[in-house]
Amino acid sequence: MSTTTTNPTRPVGDSVKRIDALEKVTGEALFADDLQFGPGLLFGRIVRSPHPHALIKHIDTSRALAMPGVKAVVTGADTPKQIGLYLKDRHIFCRERTRYVGDPVAGVVATSEEIAEAACKLVEVEYEVLEPVLDPLRGMAPDAPLIHPDLGNYEVPNFIFPKAGTNISNHFKIRKGDPDAAWALCDAIVEDEFRVPHVQHVPIEPHVAVAKMDQRGEITLWTSSQSPFAQRNLIAEALGLSQSSVRVIAPFVGGGFGCKAGVTMEALAVVMAQKVPGYAVKLRLTREEEFFTTFVRQGLIARTKIGATADGKIQAMQTEYFWDAGAYTEYGVNITRASGYSSTGPYEIPNVRADSYCVYTNHPVGGAFRGFGMPEIHWGIEQIVDMLAEAIGMDKAEFRLKNCIRTGSIIATGSTMHPVGLVECIKQATAAIHWGTEERASAPHKRRGKGLAIMWKAPAMPPNAGSSASVRFNEDATVTVSVGGQEIGQGAFTVAAQMAAAALGVPYEWVRVEGPIDTQYNPYEWQTVASRLTWSMGNAVMAAAKDARRQVLDLAAEHWGEDVDHLDIKDGMVISYRSEEAMPLKKMVVYGLPKPAGQGWRGGPIIGHGSFMPSYVTGLDPETGQGPRSVVHYTTGCQAVDLEVDTITGQVTILRIAAAFDVGKAINPDQVRAQIEGGAVQGASTALFEGFQLKNGKLANHSFVDYRIATSVDVPFEIIPIIIEVPQDDGPWGARGIGEHSMVPTAPAIANAVADAIGVRVLELPITAEKLYLALEAQADGMPV
Amino acid sequence: MPAPTDVNIPAPSTLAMPSPGLPPFDYLCPDDPDEVVALLLQHGRSARLLMGGTDLFVQMRDGALAPRVVIDVKRLPGMRELSFDPADGLHVGAAVNMNALAAAPAVQQFYPLLAQAVASVASYQLRTRATMGGNLCNGSPAADTAPAALVLDAQCVVWGPDGERTIPANNFFLGVRKTALQPGEFLTRMEFPVPPTGYAGRYIKLGRNAGGDLAIVGVAVLGYPETSAASGYRFRFALASVAPTPIRVPEAEALLAEQPITSGLLSQAALAAEDAATPINDLRGSARYRKAMVRNLTRRALDDVWNQLQAEG
Amino acid sequence: MTTHHITFTINGAQEEALVTSHITLLAFLRERLGLTGTKNGCATGECGACTVLLDGEPVNACLVLAAEIDGADVITIEGLAHDGELEPLQQAFIDHTGTQCGFCTPGILISARALLNRNPDPTEDDIKDALRGNLCRCTGYQRIINAVQDAAKAGG
Ligand SMILES: Cc1cc2nc3c(=O)[nH]c(=O)nc-3n(C[C@H](O)[C@H](O)[C@H](O)COP(=O)(O)OP(=O)(O)OC[C@H]3O[C@@H](n4cnc5c(N)ncnc54)[C@H](O)[C@@H]3O)c2cc1C
Ligand code: FES
Ligand code: FES
Repeated sequence: MSTTTTNPTRPVGDSVKRIDALEKVTGEALFADDLQFGPGLLFGRIVRSPHPHALIKHIDTSRALAMPGVKAVVTGADTPKQIGLYLKDRHIFCRERTRYVGDPVAGVVATSEEIAEAACKLVEVEYEVLEPVLDPLRGMAPDAPLIHPDLGNYEVPNFIFPKAGTNISNHFKIRKGDPDAAWALCDAIVEDEFRVPHVQHVPIEPHVAVAKMDQRGEITLWTSSQSPFAQRNLIAEALGLSQSSVRVIAPFVGGGFGCKAGVTMEALAVVMAQKVPGYAVKLRLTREEEFFTTFVRQGLIARTKIGATADGKIQAMQTEYFWDAGAYTEYGVNITRASGYSSTGPYEIPNVRADSYCVYTNHPVGGAFRGFGMPEIHWGIEQIVDMLAEAIGMDKAEFRLKNCIRTGSIIATGSTMHPVGLVECIKQATAAIHWGTEERASAPHKRRGKGLAIMWKAPAMPPNAGSSASVRFNEDATVTVSVGGQEIGQGAFTVAAQMAAAALGVPYEWVRVEGPIDTQYNPYEWQTVASRLTWSMGNAVMAAAKDARRQVLDLAAEHWGEDVDHLDIKDGMVISYRSEEAMPLKKMVVYGLPKPAGQGWRGGPIIGHGSFMPSYVTGLDPETGQGPRSVVHYTTGCQAVDLEVDTITGQVTILRIAAAFDVGKAINPDQVRAQIEGGAVQGASTALFEGFQLKNGKLANHSFVDYRIATSVDVPFEIIPIIIEVPQDDGPWGARGIGEHSMVPTAPAIANAVADAIGVRVLELPITAEKLYLALEAQADGMPV
Repeated sequence: MPAPTDVNIPAPSTLAMPSPGLPPFDYLCPDDPDEVVALLLQHGRSARLLMGGTDLFVQMRDGALAPRVVIDVKRLPGMRELSFDPADGLHVGAAVNMNALAAAPAVQQFYPLLAQAVASVASYQLRTRATMGGNLCNGSPAADTAPAALVLDAQCVVWGPDGERTIPANNFFLGVRKTALQPGEFLTRMEFPVPPTGYAGRYIKLGRNAGGDLAIVGVAVLGYPETSAASGYRFRFALASVAPTPIRVPEAEALLAEQPITSGLLSQAALAAEDAATPINDLRGSARYRKAMVRNLTRRALDDVWNQLQAEG
Repeated sequence: MTTHHITFTINGAQEEALVTSHITLLAFLRERLGLTGTKNGCATGECGACTVLLDGEPVNACLVLAAEIDGADVITIEGLAHDGELEPLQQAFIDHTGTQCGFCTPGILISARALLNRNPDPTEDDIKDALRGNLCRCTGYQRIINAVQDAAKAGG
């Protein structure tokens, strides 16, 4: 720990150890499946659609119900209302139609998981198989089968634009300047199509939920969740309950990356529990189910055209995104929107046209995944920018420095860029891998290459997503911080404690952050998504701590008869700079202080409250996507990659990744570096290994045997994390988010380095050894690659 | 390990998925080999043998197998014994776990190729349980220890209704999940003859990632000086994951015995290996890539072995 | 369905139990003994979250039958710390931020413990190889490797 006594904001800015580390290294940390419910616990299993698209003609549950140990069977008949985060487009259990392989058709509750599983096989479902839509371009076609014939009647917020009578659940547009006129000015124009397959989050903890309904009809849900409050809200609405009748208790999350945000399988457990009042019902997904029955990262087809003048200035960019959103669109519609308004990447481009379409397909359901559309769109953006730099004949770092956003730049939505350190990120990341110096490969059959990619990402959320926190003292002046934001591994509880400690003036070690998150006791938080906690929840914690601090100082001022302005709290002592009085907090924070001469007492248990909600985000014009302030802020960064390609096998060996991000202020530099490293490896894993192999809507590689993710031996490389700090005006101590950003540029940076090494451009992820080898073979045969 | 999947599986009327736990069965742990034989004959296809369970349990969870009885044979006498005799070679009980096998001093010293093949399997903790015997009996074309068994001319010793018999590894694999074991028979040990003097060997496994993937291709090459051969050397080649069973490549072996060895001849041998491979397209790689990799990695392994032989010779 | 009477030691304590044939060691630990530190991430031997020591060697508890541990010695993550004292390895994971979400951590600590037992002075490659059966989606592994190296130096 690098606790510097000179750090004026300590422990903010110190690399204190994780607040949850001890529990996690001893096995004591409780995850949802670890909670004990006693012998009365029932188990649920799900009957799922084997067809990508079908009508349910008939369901017979009688044989399943007759099986000893079976307590209940639920079907779509039990879930009349629709649910959805933005667009309410799904029933918790399918009613007349199934829309992807794995769509839940029925749920069996039994005394053991084994019985429930066996009884699932006895649920007889008669389907009428329909033509599936297996590609977003097909889904856009006028004669495509409609996956949601009632789309026009679905409930939807005012910034999402579904097209009734089509498979398009949202169409977001940017119209800025005049790209058609600008092409004529360009000296180089590049155009291409880039594809990204579906990938999975692969948290090591699969989804699990335990639900119970009491005799009053009130629900408690214990689950691994990034969104306890959003789940409470959406499940209550879908079941016609009041929000206070649904209680969500969310212990530590064993990896989320977006897949445990919003509502997925939790709602299934709740509906099953409603059939067996008084009993808790546990539903846990197998690893195989985890791969395709919860949210996945959407597939993308991106068509982009970009042009620049000979001086290296990008003049125009035109983009079409066709999102393979899957059967339903919990987050997809908003990913479509976010990718639309971010479609230029972090570049200042005067003429922009973008059309981003969210298209229903009969594929697994798209959800939020670390980066929320940004890794997918940067895959194309950062390659085509590289290709344009090549066409213009400029160094690729130079080209990016010339065109990237700076403080005051006008971005795609017409908004003005806030202070930003992207230029510094590019300079430092490239310097760290000796950009511009050719280095030798380690063997004659290997070729070495370097590449870079830059990125931006804003929290994509409703304009009024809020956070709240409370800070209260215990008798011994230790502090309990209560938040609704979740600890999903990113270190949220640690930074919350640091911020509370810094704002209060107590040592970090005195602070506890309450878990599990319990919607009945913890203050509201929209969701633990969008890399927004350090910033948004941080603001709430800071406000709560300041509130508590003010109460302490008021009390001490009254006690000492001094002006509050002369008082401070340092290391758990209230001190006066004028009288040099000092008093330990523990004397006063719960029991108050005596008035003179036995006159009674003043003060009382101190509890501070704080909340935060951005108030300045404006809507965007539905036709042009223009508006004064589209988002709260953008985090920007750059990765530079140095790698080798083995020409005998096509295998890529990454040697170094330098990654620089402008985090505004690193509340905990070590945690920031940990995010940068973890993101680079997750990014490299998706770049080199990952991708769904869907055959007629069915996932063929639904296990770790067939869906490989990076292991310890796949990370031979050095990661050089670089922290840039250009403060965020409304961030706590200047902080903005970093959780997701760290994986956004990795795949295109690797692709660019591969192109540098062997002259092969991979337009579709993943960059497998097989693809590179076959391209090299074609290259050797003189075929275009 | 699951069999190479045909990716064009037609949609069934219910969605078949691996279950959360194992299906019910009776676990038996006999201590007499003849009892095992009797049980096998009694239960036929509804009995399965268990050693490390790393294939068996995975296939049972997947629903590919649902035996009524699971017979644990690893505690039978001799099943976990490993011995080496300079005259007789290496005897490895079928249930010797892979970590114990790879760590055995005799294996490290005299059969490093075997240790290499074993080390390429899965992970350390999996290899605490997984056995080479199970790897061979499972009958997967991708079995990583099979090419080593083939080029080391291993013998599979089995116990059955008629007592003991020996099946050369070269005759052991009959097809995907098919071995030469007859009803009532089970593998008790592998015997590796003393390897040829001055030999060098190499196993190269190509996976999609470095961390214990199943092989896209596996290539074993073994070479040794042999005065009776025209080239002065003999080589043995074996391949995994590119045919319905692990295979030897006699064509390449003949080539390198008959003519003086040149770089061109090494390339020809690699081409012969490519020709011998009849891979399929599956989730791990295309047939085309696999064939190319057989050629390239055979050449890589061969260069390596040849360099070792030159250095020693 | 047969049941088996098994006698075993778990984290140093002698125990006995009646188990059905098909319950795995992982389910037995988590659901019968309440030792929930050992995690289930895949149930097929791929993720390593269920790694425990069986007679001193690491195994995937999801691929072992409870019936097979008769007479054996089992150590889980709950048995790593002694007398309220953390293992040097555990301390190193805290010091190096070797854990984020923490779900992989018990299995990784057990694999690392087993490595240091058989090789007190591992190279970086030895560590990576010993951990290749433990998936971690959060950390990117480097901090875990640093932690194990450090613990080894501390005689861990
Ligand atoms: C996560 C994972 C990764 C893997 N990675 C690899 C890999 O990289 N390379 C590789 O080659 N394999 C791999 N495998 C497959 C597996 O680990 C090996 O095949 C292992 O060697 C099997 O040995 P076992 O002792 O576990 O066999 P078991 O599962 O006990 O048995 C295997 C088969 O043989 C039968 N059998 C058992 N004993 C006998 C006997 N004495 N006589 C006849 N038949 C018998 C069983 O009924 C079963 O059908 C992997 C498996 C898993 C789960
Ligand atoms: S749960 Fe055993 S290895 Fe994943
Ligand atoms: S810390 Fe989350 S999986 Fe390793």
